[in-house]
Amino acid sequence: MEQIDTVKSLCPECLRKIEGIKYVEDGKVYIGKECEEHGKFTILISRDVEHYKKMENCYEAERAKPKAFLNNAEKGCPFDCGLCPSHKQDTCIAVLEVTSRCDMGCTFCFANSTSSGNDPDMATIKKMFETVKQCSNDPTCVQISGGEPTLRNDLPEIIKLGRDMGISHIELNTNGNRLADDPGFLNEIVDAGIDAIYLGFDGISDEIYDKRHKKMNFSKKAQVIDRCEKVGIGVVLVPLVSRDYNLHEVGKIIDFASSKVPTVRGVHFQPVFFSGRYPSEEGRITIFDLLEEVEDQMEGKLKITNFTPSLMPHAHCGATCLVVVDEYGNFIPLTNISLGAVESTSDIARKTKNSIMGRWKGMDESSSCCSKEVEVKSSCCTQKLEIKSSCCSKSDQENKLNSDFSNGWADFIELSKENYLTISAMGFQDAWTYEQDRVENCCIHVVTENGKFIPFCNYNLTNCKGEYLYRNAG
Amino acid sequence: MDINMTEDVQNSLKDEGFKIEEIQELIEKAESTGTKLKHKSEGTFIAKEDFENLTRYAVYTTSDGELTLCSVYAHKMNINGPTGGNIHDVEYDDKSEWICQKCNEAALERNVDLSYMGVTRPGPALVCPDCGEIYVSEGVAKTLKTAEGILEEKRA
Repeated sequence: MEQIDTVKSLCPECLRKIEGIKYVEDGKVYIGKECEEHGKFTILISRDVEHYKKMENCYEAERAKPKAFLNNAEKGCPFDCGLCPSHKQDTCIAVLEVTSRCDMGCTFCFANSTSSGNDPDMATIKKMFETVKQCSNDPTCVQISGGEPTLRNDLPEIIKLGRDMGISHIELNTNGNRLADDPGFLNEIVDAGIDAIYLGFDGISDEIYDKRHKKMNFSKKAQVIDRCEKVGIGVVLVPLVSRDYNLHEVGKIIDFASSKVPTVRGVHFQPVFFSGRYPSEEGRITIFDLLEEVEDQMEGKLKITNFTPSLMPHAHCGATCLVVVDEYGNFIPLTNISLGAVESTSDIARKTKNSIMGRWKGMDESSSCCSKEVEVKSSCCTQKLEIKSSCCSKSDQENKLNSDFSNGWADFIELSKENYLTISAMGFQDAWTYEQDRVENCCIHVVTENGKFIPFCNYNLTNCKGEYLYRNAG
Repeated sequence: MDINMTEDVQNSLKDEGFKIEEIQELIEKAESTGTKLKHKSEGTFIAKEDFENLTRYAVYTTSDGELTLCSVYAHKMNINGPTGGNIHDVEYDDKSEWICQKCNEAALERNVDLSYMGVTRPGPALVCPDCGEIYVSEGVAKTLKTAEGILEEKRA
């Protein structure tokens, strides 16, 4: 047993602040903590200490502070959210819940949504957009969420309001049910200016959807994607992952996603976390375990080493990999943790925002084959380079060669502009796995109806009885 | 050796991060080893120099003992070799307009495997069938530069 760090955490029973330790035993990493009232708690956070350390060492970067703080620090993290001045990281995406209602009744729901609830009116939503502009630096990114946002008939107006107020990027978090059934509504949302669809997608087998809500099946989810393809809007698949639920399908989810590139821009796995509503306390899975399953199920097409710590607040909040999918469905991973640390330090929130905007926007309809400008984004700026694609090379000979060997570098550039998939995993915290260090650097902020910004994990935090610290707490 | 160049070319040297001394050295080496191509009719030369993680090229002309630099370019990609390995199956007339100055043979237009950051893909190049030297044209180098940028940007 070797202690590697101390941890500021919480008691899962009473949510009081308790100090714990991070330690290594048998090559695995644990958090151990004790509440004087409720006893000891031990949580496995990684099955592989070497991988854990590699992720930590992989990057060191500058962070921009939030643009504004709305609360004072009095009781200490996590009790002063607003954000409080101890918060160290600007917003990369603001979650704006336009309703608490949802019609699915899922067995897993960190928001514990039900079909009843009062929606915020447009004046309140306007105030929420204003908070985003006030507290986060440009470019501003908003994810419209809930409950289920498509239950609101005025969702297109909400999106238009955000656009008019100058929000740079707006995406929609949805189960897709209405989008599958009501293509007119999808058109309205697109016309209003939505940039991407963040689609709940737990697997390709109906038995999985049966376990979750019994209300949508795989073909309906696939229909959402096909509709999005027709209107030219990008989709990110968002699977909740839990053992004994859908862990066995993570490979199939990725394969399905790659078959729908470029409409599908990414797969964003969310290992289950125990806040809100859940069927049992079983099934927890760490990021490392998830990556191991992915490698296994993908039979080497993707490896654990292809995943680097996400452009995220903290090395252990998430892992990302970027693959170009070529014309034969082969994966060309572009990322590899062994390539070492980033040489240039850059503002994480801004870089994440640029990634979100760049990777998840709708498709370019003017995909002509000839010479065009490609934007190459580097960490500090965007360069425009003119590219002649394979059909317009200088000589006939080159043309011939390029058509014989269509998987050359010129085509790679074309592919990487559109035919890529971002595969990531984000490990949200619950009262058991909570680490103040991670929360202080969080860049996903929920904007509340009374105009406050609260880091995602704090906002959804519940004690073991399901009582929220912030959500619905007024 | 005096190298003439227009202001535009001088500026592009700065942009590419080449020093004049480095170009002089490159050309001198190429002149003595013959690691250069000469255009069949136009008399232009392409000289190249291989460094560890960089290949540099200089395009120039000579007349009456004067040397004029036309352009410089480079790529970080590593040239692995001809795609498919064998360069001797000439299926069609793929002789280019460029003559290898080591062997006095026409360089062939062939695909070669180029790698960067663990990704290998083919790209068109000029290959001498005798000595096997491989040259990448300026147009192709531009494409490679974009691809390199994409790989570098996505790394983290």
